[in-house]
Amino acid sequence: MRRDPETAQRFRSLVKRQMEAVPAGGPDWLMSRRDQAARRLETSEPPDAVQEAWRYTRLQPLLEADMAPGPAEPISDPRVGESLPPRSEGSLLVLVNGRFAPEFSRLRPESGVTLCGLGQALSARPDGPVRALGSLSEDAGQAFSLLSSALMQDGVMVHVAPGVAVRHPVEILHLAVAAEQPRVAQPRHLILLEPGASARVVERFQAIDQPLYFNNLVVEALVGEGAALEHERLQNESPNAFHITSLYLQLQASGRYRGLTAAIGAGWSRTDLRVTFGGPGGECDLSGLYLAGDRQLTDMHLDVDHAVPGCTSRETFRGILDGRGRAVFDGRVLVREQAQKSDAQMVNANLMLSRNAEIDTKPQLEILADDVQCSHGTTVGQLDEDGVFYLRTRGLSAVQARRMLCMGFAREIIEGVHTPTLREQMEALLEARLGAASEAGDQEG
Amino acid sequence: MKMLSIEDLHVAVDGKPILKGLDLEVGAGEVHAIMGPNGSGKSTLAHVLAGRDGYEVTAGEVHFDGEPLLDLPVEERARRGLFLAMQYPVELPGVSNLSFLKESLNAIRRARGEPEMDAVGFLKRVREKARLVELDERLLKRSVNDGFSGGEKKRNEILQMVLLEPRLAILDETDSGLDIDALRVVADGVNTLRDPSRAMIVVTHYQRLLDYIQPDWVHVLAGGRILRSGDKDLALELEQRGYGWIMEEAAA
Repeated sequence: MRRDPETAQRFRSLVKRQMEAVPAGGPDWLMSRRDQAARRLETSEPPDAVQEAWRYTRLQPLLEADMAPGPAEPISDPRVGESLPPRSEGSLLVLVNGRFAPEFSRLRPESGVTLCGLGQALSARPDGPVRALGSLSEDAGQAFSLLSSALMQDGVMVHVAPGVAVRHPVEILHLAVAAEQPRVAQPRHLILLEPGASARVVERFQAIDQPLYFNNLVVEALVGEGAALEHERLQNESPNAFHITSLYLQLQASGRYRGLTAAIGAGWSRTDLRVTFGGPGGECDLSGLYLAGDRQLTDMHLDVDHAVPGCTSRETFRGILDGRGRAVFDGRVLVREQAQKSDAQMVNANLMLSRNAEIDTKPQLEILADDVQCSHGTTVGQLDEDGVFYLRTRGLSAVQARRMLCMGFAREIIEGVHTPTLREQMEALLEARLGAASEAGDQEG
Repeated sequence: MKMLSIEDLHVAVDGKPILKGLDLEVGAGEVHAIMGPNGSGKSTLAHVLAGRDGYEVTAGEVHFDGEPLLDLPVEERARRGLFLAMQYPVELPGVSNLSFLKESLNAIRRARGEPEMDAVGFLKRVREKARLVELDERLLKRSVNDGFSGGEKKRNEILQMVLLEPRLAILDETDSGLDIDALRVVADGVNTLRDPSRAMIVVTHYQRLLDYIQPDWVHVLAGGRILRSGDKDLALELEQRGYGWIMEEAAA
């Protein structure tokens, strides 16, 4: 495969356009990190299908979309208020088109817990914990993360003091509303758990109507020694949206992370989960569910680095594809030479509801140590017709039967969601989507 | 009019004839046992009646309540009151047994013009029936048949049967592989449903089940046809003499 000059050209012009609106001001360290990222962006190779990371995911649709620079203007749509989840005991942080919106957020103060917009953290205590911003993502050099770093200014900051357990889930709602022009939202989250702290962060992505935009989210999470972070996410962006989540997670000794992503929405989406173990005894449990139908591409990329001995990772991902949906699963687990006693198990299962759907799945274990327990398994299959028959003999229609079996397939992931409202929302969305898929499948079959 | 009437039924699987002119009439209130050696077409008959794909009806007709059955979709047959208890119940990982039973019961009730059951009423009903078939209540919350033992799967089949209250129940070798206790549960389930308005077809390889379920008729199916019909004494005779003599008589 050869490098495509047009892709490079388009990427450079996207960057150039977005860089017309570099945020002004901020502490020196922030300015210099932005500069650094901007320079690396100029000198590094643009993303291209010749790179393994972009081999199966076409960038053209994203690069061809015309996006104005700068954050979207503030929105005064009354439907924003109506889209908020019901009041709960925990805090809610709302971002509208990538901007932290304090007027819609509900912050419940808790001792030892800092929850605020990133901008607030930068202006109130620029030399506080927020200084970690950009430090976890900078080594990766992933083009879209660099773009985010060059422009970083808004998002959410979560900081939990040593030994503090955040009582209720922290909810982050990413809401997209049609703006005057399509824009790139560049939110950044910084989640810092000091040693022995624990928290659950719940992220939802949703849109009012079906606007076109590009949500380019970077999450940096540092889980301190013996700390525990749960992270549950539902990506249900507008069908016309582009979405990238790049998670940079670092686990210190005996730190634990349990993360679940359901990628259901967006026409084009990519989830990059990059995990580094910084000390022994770390445990990382990544799971995910992706659904791709007509005019949808969903890409899941994992990069788990067992850099130190004695850590455990689980990667469990399931995908459902229908219509002309496309999905990519690229799960890489690296066990370095010194990382003895590593334990890594990766499973990727895919359910194809249509002959026209396509999945590229690529689990990779690179094991350089010799005393480890590692395995991976991948399946690509169709709905069990014996199961469909069985359900029909009990009076269920073929459509109902297929939906029930698909839900069963998805449930193996969804039952891992610990936040009841999120689990219910996921189930309802899936039921609706799978209902439509089963009906289409019925006509096709 | 008979509830079920099968006339000169010919069925092929992958082009190979399995049923070769089968006739059978089952009236309301009757229990028929179908026995026969392996490969005689017993399961084929059960599956054709339920509407499974892959069975080609090359000749003959089947009427259920006077209406042609074979062109109806699988679920429509179920909604009209036909039930197949399977020899190998399918495992459905991730599908909750409880919600499966509820959706199924409500689909059947809607078809009968009865109101759907709410969660509370349903739970009460299903627990009562689970006790009847001695199915551990914990299995209701598990995925359908997933990781169930052979006996538990069969009990789950019988649970569905007593819950859905079919008008015609077909038990396809439900007794195979069961111990005496499980066998008794299956028989109790059948006997509970026994009613002048219902009928049963019990497909079995052994006479054993018929100690508990007294059939009105026993038919011997071999080589794709019913070679002999009789009352329950025929089953006892088969137990003592095997099937050979019937096949020899038929060949003669």
